[in-house]
Formats: sequence, C-alpha cells, structure tokens
Amino acid sequence: MATTTGLRRAATGVGVAGPGAPLHHGKNKQLSRGAITMVLLVAPSVVLLLLINAYPLIYAANQSLHKGSLIITGKFVGFANYTDVLTRPAFWQAARFTLIFTLVGVFGSWLIGLALALLLRTRIPGGTVFKVLLMLPWVVPIVVSSTAWNWLVATPSSPVPALAERLGFGQLLFLADPTLAAITVCVFKVWVSFPFMMLMTSAALASVDTTVYEAANMDGATKWQQLTQITLPIVSRSTYISWILMTIFCVNDFPTIFLLTGGGPVTATSSLVVLAYRTVFQDFQTGPGVAIAFLMTIVLVIISTVLYRQIRKGETA
Amino acid sequence: MTALEVGGHPAVVPVKELTVKGSAEPGTKGQWGRFSLLLVITVVVLIPIYVTLFLSIRPGSFSTSSSFFTLGNFSYIFASSDVLTWLVNSLGVTVVTVLISVAVAAPAGYVLSRGRSRAVAGYSLLLFIIQSLPIITAVIPLFILFAKIGLADNLIGLVIVYVGSTMSVATWMMAAYFDSIPHTLEEAAWVDGASVFGGFVRIILRNSLPGILSTAIFAFLVAWNDYLVALVFLKSSNVFTLPVGLQSFFQQNATDWGSVMAVSVVMLLPPTVLFAVLNKYFSVGGIGGSLAGR
Amino acid sequence: MTGSTSRSMGRRGFLGLAAAAAAVPTLAACNVSGSSNTGSAGGSSDPVKFWDQPWATTAYNDLGKKITEAFVPSGMSNKASYQVIPWNNFYQTYASAIASGTGPAVSTGGGFQPFQFAEQGAIAYADNLLTSWKSNGMYDDYLPGIAEANKTDNGIAAVPWQLDARVMWANTKLLDQAGADVPTDFDSLLKAGLALKKIGVSGFATGAGAGNNLGSHTMVAMMIMNGGGLFTEDGTPACVTDRNIEAMDFVKQLANEGIIDAGAVSYTSDNLNNQWSTKKAGIGINTAGLDASAAAVKGDIEVISPLAGPHGDKATLYFVNSVMMYTKTPSQAASEAFVTYYLQNIHQYWDSGQINGVPVLKSIATSEAVTKNANLAKATKEYVPLGKTYAATGTKLFAGLASVDGGQALTQFAQTMLQGKTDSKTALTALQSGIEQAIK
Repeated sequence: MATTTGLRRAATGVGVAGPGAPLHHGKNKQLSRGAITMVLLVAPSVVLLLLINAYPLIYAANQSLHKGSLIITGKFVGFANYTDVLTRPAFWQAARFTLIFTLVGVFGSWLIGLALALLLRTRIPGGTVFKVLLMLPWVVPIVVSSTAWNWLVATPSSPVPALAERLGFGQLLFLADPTLAAITVCVFKVWVSFPFMMLMTSAALASVDTTVYEAANMDGATKWQQLTQITLPIVSRSTYISWILMTIFCVNDFPTIFLLTGGGPVTATSSLVVLAYRTVFQDFQTGPGVAIAFLMTIVLVIISTVLYRQIRKGETA
Repeated sequence: MTALEVGGHPAVVPVKELTVKGSAEPGTKGQWGRFSLLLVITVVVLIPIYVTLFLSIRPGSFSTSSSFFTLGNFSYIFASSDVLTWLVNSLGVTVVTVLISVAVAAPAGYVLSRGRSRAVAGYSLLLFIIQSLPIITAVIPLFILFAKIGLADNLIGLVIVYVGSTMSVATWMMAAYFDSIPHTLEEAAWVDGASVFGGFVRIILRNSLPGILSTAIFAFLVAWNDYLVALVFLKSSNVFTLPVGLQSFFQQNATDWGSVMAVSVVMLLPPTVLFAVLNKYFSVGGIGGSLAGR
Repeated sequence: MTGSTSRSMGRRGFLGLAAAAAAVPTLAACNVSGSSNTGSAGGSSDPVKFWDQPWATTAYNDLGKKITEAFVPSGMSNKASYQVIPWNNFYQTYASAIASGTGPAVSTGGGFQPFQFAEQGAIAYADNLLTSWKSNGMYDDYLPGIAEANKTDNGIAAVPWQLDARVMWANTKLLDQAGADVPTDFDSLLKAGLALKKIGVSGFATGAGAGNNLGSHTMVAMMIMNGGGLFTEDGTPACVTDRNIEAMDFVKQLANEGIIDAGAVSYTSDNLNNQWSTKKAGIGINTAGLDASAAAVKGDIEVISPLAGPHGDKATLYFVNSVMMYTKTPSQAASEAFVTYYLQNIHQYWDSGQINGVPVLKSIATSEAVTKNANLAKATKEYVPLGKTYAATGTKLFAGLASVDGGQALTQFAQTMLQGKTDSKTALTALQSGIEQAIK
C-alpha cells in the first residue's frame, strides 16, 4: 500500500517530489517544475482531511481533558479522565474482548477468505455468480443483517436453537450465555468480513506466476507444501496489508456488536468502542468515554505501525 | 473515521489480469466436486439474506393478515412513507460522493505513489491515524461545525462528511493502483514534452479505469450504508436518506418489521446490481495484486 | 444564522467552510452553549420548531404533523413546524442540535431529557405556563400529582403529556390451561409461575437484550413494589436495603426455578413481544401498550390488578413523558402558546387509537376512547395512583437519573439478576457503586 511506499522511500530520504527509481537528471528537472503541480494535486485531499477529520480529532481530544457534557465543555481536569478509565475493571474487560474479537475477526475472515479465494481460482461452472453472491454479506447494511441474525438465534424457538435442540445439543442460548454470545458475535463479524478478505486474497493470488507451481509439481511437492512454501510467502505483503486494514475495522467496529448484543450479557461482548459509546451516550460521561476512544486509537496506531515495519522488512529483504 | 463504513471495508479491488490460468487439476470431475462444495457453502452463507427476503414478504407485526405471502409491506412503504424520496436522496448523495471522492483521491493517490519526500510519508501515516478514530467521537463536533455554516440538515453537508471519511482508504486504493503502472509510461510522456499534470491525466488516469471503479465502489458502500452520521445530520423528512428513513419504523417499544425489511430489500438492490454489473472489472487483481507484483 | 437551512451551497458555502476551519482552535477551546441566549429576547416571527419522536406507528406522526401545522396563535404571526426524531441515537441528535443552536423550540423526547438539558441551561422553565393554566382549567385537568412532576430547584422543567407505566400483564388463557390463578401477591406469582412452567410458559416474562430497558425497569419495579427503590428521599443512592434485597432474592428465585426464561437476558423488545405473541409468556411486567405490540394474543392477555408485596405495599414504576420548551426559540410567548395548543389537542391521538400511552389528563382518561379500552383504562385507574418514579421514595427528579435509566450500571445489574447466579446483596452493592459513579 502507498503508505509503505511512502515510509520505505522516506527512509532513502530524497527531497520533495523527487523523481522515480533510477535518477535521470532531465526528468528530475521536469519533476522539480512539477513539484508545484504535485502540491496542487494533493491539496484538495489535505484540506478535506483537516476539515472533516482533524477538527473533530482536536475537539474530541479537548473533551477528553474536561469534565463536561456534549453541550458544555466543562472544567479542565487534565488527564484525570484517563487515569479514571484505566482503573475501571470494565475497561480491561473490554480491552480483553476487543483483543479476542479482533484476533478472531482478522484471522477467521482471512482463513475463510483465503480458502474461498483458492477455490474460486480454479475453474468452476458459474464461478462469477458465486463470487457475486458471496459478496452479499459484506454489501448488506449491518442494521439489516444483525436483525436477520437475531431472528435466527435469539429465542429458544428461533430456527438455529430449535435445530440444535433437535440434533441433541440441548437448549443453546446463543445470545444469553456469555461464552456463546461472544462466539456468536465473532462468527457474525467473520460472516460480514470474509468477502473483503476473499477479494484481497483473490487479487494477490492473481499475480502469482503459475509456472512456479509446474516446477513444484515436478519436484513432487504436495499441495499443502505448495500453499505454505510458495503461495503464502509470495502474497505475504498483501496479506499483512489486509490484516492491518481488518484490524482497524475490527477494533473500530461498533454496529456489529451493538446491534446484536448491545455489549451484553452483562459485559461479555462489550468491546472498547461499545464501552466508549455506552459511557458517552448512556452514562453521559463524555470525558471518560472519549478518553476510552483515544486510548483505543493510540493502541491501534502502535499495533499497525509494528505491522507496517513487518512489511518494510519484507521489502528490504 | 472507520466506523462510518458500517461493516463496509475498502472495497473491491481492481483488475490486474482478467484471465486466470487454472493452476491445478482442470478435470471435469474435480470441477463439479468443487462446484458442489461451493454451492453448499454459498447456500449456507446466504441464510441471513433469505431471512431478510422472507420477512419482507410476511405480513407485518401490526397487520391482521394471516396469509403467508404478501406484497403488502412493499405497497405500504411506497404508499404511506416517503421511501421514494429517500431512495432518490440516497442515490443522489451516493453518486455525488463517489464522483468527488474519486476526483480528490486520484490526484492525491498519484502524489503518494510517485512522491518520495518525508512529507509524503508523513501524510500517508496521518491518513492512517485519522482512519483509526471511531466516527462516534467525530459526529457531534462535525455537526456543530456544519450547523454554523448552514450545512446541517442538508444533503451537501452529508456529502462533504462522506467524502472526508472515504478519503484515507480511497487515496490508498488509488495510490496502490498507480503503483502498478510502470513509471516509464509517464516518463516517456515527459520526454515528449508533457507536463506532470498532463502526464497524470493523459497517461495515468487513462490507464486506471479498474482502480477508479474499485475506489468508486468503496465510496459507494460507505455513503450508501451509513446511518450514524445521517441520523444526526438530517432532521427533515424531505432530505432523509434510506437508512434514516428506515429508523422511522422503529417505535418506542415496538418495531414494524415488515416495513423495515421491505425498505431493507430496497436498500439492498442498488449495491447488489452494481456489483453484479461491474464484477468482471474487479474480480481479479487489485490492491494486493499490484503490490505483490511490484 | 437563522434556523432556516440553506439548501444551496455555492462559493460562499465553501468560503464559510474555510473560515470555520481557520477557527478550529478557538471553537474547540470555547464553550459552545453560548448560542442559547440568542433566541428568546428578540421575538421573531419564525415558526416554532416542534420535534416529536415515533411514539407509535408512522400514522401517529402523520397525525402529529397535522395537529402541529394547524397551529394558529392569536396575536402572533408564528406558525409551528413538525419534525420526527428517530429514537435511535436521539440524545445525540438533540445534544448536537442544541449545542449548535439549531435545536427545537419545543419537543417531546426521553423521560429525563428535560432535566438533562435544564442542567445545561438549554431549557425554558414552564412555571409561568403552568400558572397561566390554573386560570383556564388545564392545570386541574391533570391527574393528581402529575402536573408538577418535573419540578426542579430552578423551576418546572417540562409539562407532562403522557405516562409510561410498568404494569403487570397476564395471559389468562394460559393461566387457565396451567390451572393457575391470577396472582395477587409475590407468593401467588411464584405459584402461578411454577404451574406455567409445567406447560412450557414463562411466568415472569422480561428481556434485557440490545436496546431493551424493560429488564432494568422490571427490577426497579419489583423493588418499588416491595416498598424499596434506588434512592432515599433526599436523592442519595440507597440500593442495598432490606426491602430491595428481599425483592431481588425473589427475582433470583424466579430465575433459579426457571420461571424467568433463561434467554430473557438477551431478549430485545421485539424478541419479548414475540414470546408473548407465540404464547411462551404467561405473566410479566410490561408497558401499558403490550396488547398492541403482541397483537396475536390481544384477546388473551390483560392487565391484572397491582400485586401486593410481602409487606403489603402496592406500587409500581412509571415514567412521566413531557413536552419541554427550550431557551432557543423565536419567542417564548409563541412557545407557550404552542404548548398550550398542543396539550389541548393531544386527545386526538387517543381518540383515533394511534397511541397506547397512559393519559395524564382527566379529560382523556375519562373519554370514551380510553374507558372503552379495558386494559388502558385499568392501567390508568389502578396503576397511575400507585406510580412512582426512579426516585421512588423521594419526589424530586434530577438530571443524573438519565444516566441511571439505560445506563450501564442498571442494565448490567438487570442482566446479572436475570442470570440468577449472583447473590442479591453483591449485585445490589455493585449497582450502588455504579449509580454513585454515574450521578457524581
């Protein structure tokens, strides 16, 4: 992704809008003249970014340092909201669930997406139709799909629990039992996200030169060896990128959890973003709630920066 | 500002190579075996979709009808709600968002792809950090800002927010696609006397239709599916988008599910049709592909 | 800037945007509530903006719009405009609008909304309005004890227009089938519950899933029914009391006996209505409008008389829903004229059967539309006089209650109790500290 490009190239430290790979002096001159053009090209995006994104960021940062409401900024309290939040058990419970939810969300959807991408890569009658149909979980608005999932699992007489009971699993309460509720939310997230991973992986696989498999076949490598030793290493960079994006989507995912369980039972499925929302809009504690959102963002940035480095290493190796 | 794309994610990826050579076992027997496997998976995965369709054709919870199948929900929402207005608003907001997003993200993506400075790297990281902040913390300050300049309860204001929140990923997507276009192409144009801008428009953009389309689809889904921002921004029924209109069927202690599901089906159709029509452009290749192949 | 929305955005809009961006640090640092003092003084002829919620089906809001737009005040040129604010995120919608000066002049809204916004200086108090109603008979039209339900230290924050009472419902057909009697107190409720359990029906139907506050309300209602409550007279949280422990021990017993459905902890409002509709629910505390949301069993379910607690107490929980005025208005006189007009016309909702809320006005409570509806009439006659708010033993409501109702502490408490695994005293102690933190 471009960011990696930027980072890697930044490491080589060339001036503003310097020229492409091998330095040709004539083109360098052309690009220097083009530097203004480059600035103009990026300008609209910078303006929008500052206006739409940076302003709320500053506003929210300010809120997290005050004891106030959504309407009144209130008294300046320094980092009191942060220390308050960090000493709440609910925060750490939510952090733990966020971790689980993110790990399952990222790797669950990646594994399924990878498997389907490998399957769709082969010649299958009606492959395109399947591809479009398998995209639907991702296209349907969450407010709709969460309703459909609720209808399927919510009460003992809903279709899935009724089926489970008939199959001899006993009465399963998918949303009322804390463990099952956590599993259900994670499965729902994987269901929503796998099409994205499928597309990312399909895209990466398409660039793998098929002749390497012919060579591997001749060397007698098994299918599993071909996958783990050839395919996956080749697509590793795009895999990292899809993991990073999915990590952001999982950590920040509000509707998937909130619409299905509301964070319950008790705190079983309360992630950090759900906790932040409930703290601001149900407990009306604006400062602490925004502080939770900020702490979450900081951790997210750290995790993703680490993953970025991983990619950079891959590039320089 | 991620949470905006309610379950949506940077979308669909551009084509790199349209033809994939079946890498393994082209035998017909295996082909039908895989077909059956895929059929079973697809049928199971789509169960919640059938539920939506099923509920939209059942008599609503406030209806006394006991028939199994009815189109009453659809005739009800078209007759007694403003669903047509909402549909037009949604389509308008979405199309304009898509056009502006691409128009802003494409040049920025080009700079990210070709630029080498620390400033570019820093900007790239900034895009990322901002992408990480949940939208729920941003909605209220944004509304206050927009209300002061008369853009609250206004579809133009909504478009600006959507463009802003698609910006990070859309820029990355465009940059990633441009990365897959050899530098030698525009360098040749410069030698022939083209300006940097000329090279970008005539050489790069012209060869980027799949990248543009995939960015467009991403922006489409963000704008189409959002309800959190729209809920706070829009107050008058004549400017409601579909997801906000949908909320009017949720009462204090009860929900009119028949109508909700019927509106949901209306909401579901445009992205599905769009995806089906454009599928061949996106099916293979893309962000990952272009990166891995670079 | 006036309240009108400019729908076209040309170059000026963009310039405005740029200017606003330059003002970012100032804006972020200053208190935005300053906009509240711009309205009332001048007295312009702009329409009175009235915001209403979807209290019932979309037909309710259609009628609301009709009533609002028919407003013609005498001696003023102000008209009234109507907007529907969805329940989803409604607090966010109001807060952001008020903070930016684009909020309503008059609104319905959440039960505790007047106190919250009063605390933040956005509410125009209704003392003068209520005084003026004393001369035209409207004050006396309120059921006893309701008119000044929203009294605060600084004034009356809003005027009531309907009640949301928690009443006990029973499916008498199922009770007959189980051979159980209609319960009259806690013991007979337990007995009926055990009998209903034998035929696979819940004898204490409730739900505390996503977005469903009924479970929380049921817990508080049970405490209040036993003479307890969440607060002392002067408004300090007092959850760990003998009466509360006794009531919660009873709930725990109901859960452990399987009389409370094990899935209840995750039931949304819709799941719960569905349990009633499919005859899986036999007895339960619910809103007075349950027969409308569980239409399939309309003929079988009825409001039963209030249960007596183990010590003979009789009480229930209710919420007063009010119409509130804001300081941001084209003219306070116009706001008051509109509220007077509106209260004189809300009977239309009951007359046309568009709403199932409990009326607060005698004229509506005794109207044919209500007396004809046996369940609503019973709720009005038997429950309203026994009704208490969250501040059960006291009478003064305060803004902090909003963070109790629907807040995390009470929701999690209700879910904990419904699971039936935690000791009542432990759960109540956790609730106590949660509420202390919420209202501090």
